[in-house]
Amino acid sequence: MNVSKKTTSYKEAITEIEEILKQLDNNELDVDELSDKVKRVSQLVTLCKEKLHNTEQEIDKILKEMDHNYQ
Amino acid sequence: MNEQLKLSELNGRVKKAIGETFTAPVWVVAEISELKLNRNGHCYLVLIEKEENGDAIVAQAKATIWSYTFRMLRPYFESTTGQPLTEGLKVLVSVSVEFHELYGYSLNIRDIDPTYTLGDMARRRREIISRLQNEGVADMNKELTLPLVPQKIAIISSFTAAGYQDFIDQLTNNPSKYRFHTRLFPAIMQGNQAETSIIGALEQIYLYENFFDVVVIIRGGGSQVDLSCFDNYNLAYFITQFPLPVITGIGHEKDDSIVDLVAHTRLKTPTAVAEFLISGLTRFDNYLDDQKNRFVASIDDILLAAKSDVEHYSRSIIPLVREKISKGTSQLNQTIWKFDNHVKIFIQNQTYQLTRTEESLRHEFKNFSQIQLRYLEKTTRALSASLQAIRLNNNELLQRKIQRTEKSVKKIVSERLHYLELTSQKAMLTDPARILARGYSITTYNGRALKDTDRISSKAHIETRLYKGNIISEVITILK
Repeated sequence: MNVSKKTTSYKEAITEIEEILKQLDNNELDVDELSDKVKRVSQLVTLCKEKLHNTEQEIDKILKEMDHNYQ
Repeated sequence: MNEQLKLSELNGRVKKAIGETFTAPVWVVAEISELKLNRNGHCYLVLIEKEENGDAIVAQAKATIWSYTFRMLRPYFESTTGQPLTEGLKVLVSVSVEFHELYGYSLNIRDIDPTYTLGDMARRRREIISRLQNEGVADMNKELTLPLVPQKIAIISSFTAAGYQDFIDQLTNNPSKYRFHTRLFPAIMQGNQAETSIIGALEQIYLYENFFDVVVIIRGGGSQVDLSCFDNYNLAYFITQFPLPVITGIGHEKDDSIVDLVAHTRLKTPTAVAEFLISGLTRFDNYLDDQKNRFVASIDDILLAAKSDVEHYSRSIIPLVREKISKGTSQLNQTIWKFDNHVKIFIQNQTYQLTRTEESLRHEFKNFSQIQLRYLEKTTRALSASLQAIRLNNNELLQRKIQRTEKSVKKIVSERLHYLELTSQKAMLTDPARILARGYSITTYNGRALKDTDRISSKAHIETRLYKGNIISEVITILK
């Protein structure tokens, strides 16, 4: 057991954003690719913000399962 | 068998001997094996001594602390050691040795020296710590990486603990409205049962190690003493081996417990733990915003640069385009001029041809019309000549006919005139009026003159016209 799955998605998201930023800083991105990257970054940021502020169904399910198993 | 004693006499002698031997209280080192309080506030203990390097009990004695003394000793001990006076502690106590005929040997505790216990605890702590270090496990939990966003929290605490509720409230009502997912694994948080209970909770959490981000051990509110359960080798060892980072907030201000020492992160209170977790999310959130803003700024820069490039190109392209256009225009004009010339020449040629054609046509037409004209004149002349001849001929015939006709007409007219004269004379003689005037009359029947009696019958009404007036009569007789 190292890095658990659910934190990986935060990590993956921020890593991808950092990667895109690096590409931007190094002028590795074509202007034509920008629109896609803007979409992608906005998607990732939204995903993280969602996760920070809302409950996912999956999590609720596991917590309920725990209540069932451990009382 | 020269002397026989009653038990009470023997006990009396023992009591006397003890009283003579232990005229003053003595300081004795012992471990508290049992400790009970009765309703009157008296404290009853069992003191023991164990083998130097083992658990075998080599000495044991009952002991008492009378309530009056206990009320003073206990707070003194506990405030000095930060530790309740309880079983398992090694103590240095001042005792008076007593013997009661009925209850036997016992020690009455008059005083206690907490510094001995303190020293003993410290020694034991040191021993546990050095043991963990020698085993190479002391820092293992610290070596785990705290997740980027510690959001799923396994909590070990007592459900009723005030610290737990504060902790939950704080996480739930964090100002940034971050959503934490918490699950309480209840445990006894003080006393001798704490070790097993907390280890049991950790074992439950271990089943969900892939789900949780961190384990939080918190305890707050209650008594600031009785933390010895956190100076426990087994519990500490279990934590060092745990696969999730453990954060402590067991709420004591003094020395760290061994659990604190081996935990990934040691904080003083549950509140501090909640703040720590929230700050982790805030840090990530801020970093996310930073990255986003940096990204937006970079994009803006790139777009700005691209825009200025485009402007630059468009500026430099305008003269080029103008040049191209003027070149093209002049070429076009040339072409037009050339074309114009061609057209003019063509038109001139065509006009010339047309004129020639027209002239030749006109010429031919003139010839043709002259011929026609001549022919016409000839025909006209011929015609008028024939016409003249016909006319002359006809005139003669006509003249003759007229003369002939004139003659016959004149003859007929004179004959007729003569006849007319005769007739009119005759008519004068036969005019009916003249005849009537002479006495003749005309009889009519049905408007017709009667010339005979054939059509008439008797009783017929006949009209008789006289010279002057008419008579209507009835036929009486017809005479034939």
